[in-house]
Amino acid sequence: MSPLHSIARVFDRIAPAPAAYAHCDIPCGIYDPHHAQMAAHTVVRMIDLINQLEKPGPGATPEQRQEYMAKLSRYVLVKEQHAEIAKHEVRVLWGDYFKPDHLKTFPELHDLVWMALKAGSKARQEVNLQAAEELLKATNEIAVVYWKTKGLETVRAKAPYPTERETVYPKFH
Amino acid sequence: MLPLARFRVEDDSMSPHLEPGDFVVVNRWAYRFRPPLTGDVVVVRDPEVPGRFLVKRIFQISPEGLVGLQGDNTARSRDSRAFGPVGKEAVVGKVWLRLRP
Repeated sequence: MSPLHSIARVFDRIAPAPAAYAHCDIPCGIYDPHHAQMAAHTVVRMIDLINQLEKPGPGATPEQRQEYMAKLSRYVLVKEQHAEIAKHEVRVLWGDYFKPDHLKTFPELHDLVWMALKAGSKARQEVNLQAAEELLKATNEIAVVYWKTKGLETVRAKAPYPTERETVYPKFH
Repeated sequence: MLPLARFRVEDDSMSPHLEPGDFVVVNRWAYRFRPPLTGDVVVVRDPEVPGRFLVKRIFQISPEGLVGLQGDNTARSRDSRAFGPVGKEAVVGKVWLRLRP
């Protein structure tokens, strides 16, 4: 314990010094595009479910209408939430993870982020399978760039979820 | 206003030059008679969190006098690469002394 530091500690007890942060975002450096991809899958899935949902005909009972409304509301709610999660995750990668150096190497990032956010908004506003698929595609392409910045190759495989859409995964060896 | 102010260092974006737990003594008058220079370690007001202070190294001064900041530990630092350069008025002062346990 150096004497000057000890004196400073005594001073600090009398009048605490403000903190000067050698700041890093906490938790430092923990990013993964998978969150955005999963949220996009969920949006695709919700639109599939909405489209598969049998609409009540003119002869439907009040109970059948109620059941339809309840299911539709749930699908729409989850679609809205997950489109927003996908957008949030893309913004976190964009704002916090990707650095100017990355952009020099991957200038397409601008367009990919733009595409993801626009498609995400459209997928929220409408029951639009094309928009949801564009959102998923954009998050996949962002994932390709992300894993390249980590020095990892990627593979495209059919997702093991009911959506079964093509998804980008890192190749760890 | 007294020229000297104490700050306690938190986080490790300036590691190994400054480590969490160090105290720094800052000269608030350092830039009264001369401009900030690249390489200076300074305490600045966080442009992203009002009321919080950051300690970083100046890596660039733009022709307009904006101060570009970077942590020494670049892999673990949020700095001007994320929030852009800061104005001279955001600079509290120059780190003059480091007190290490």
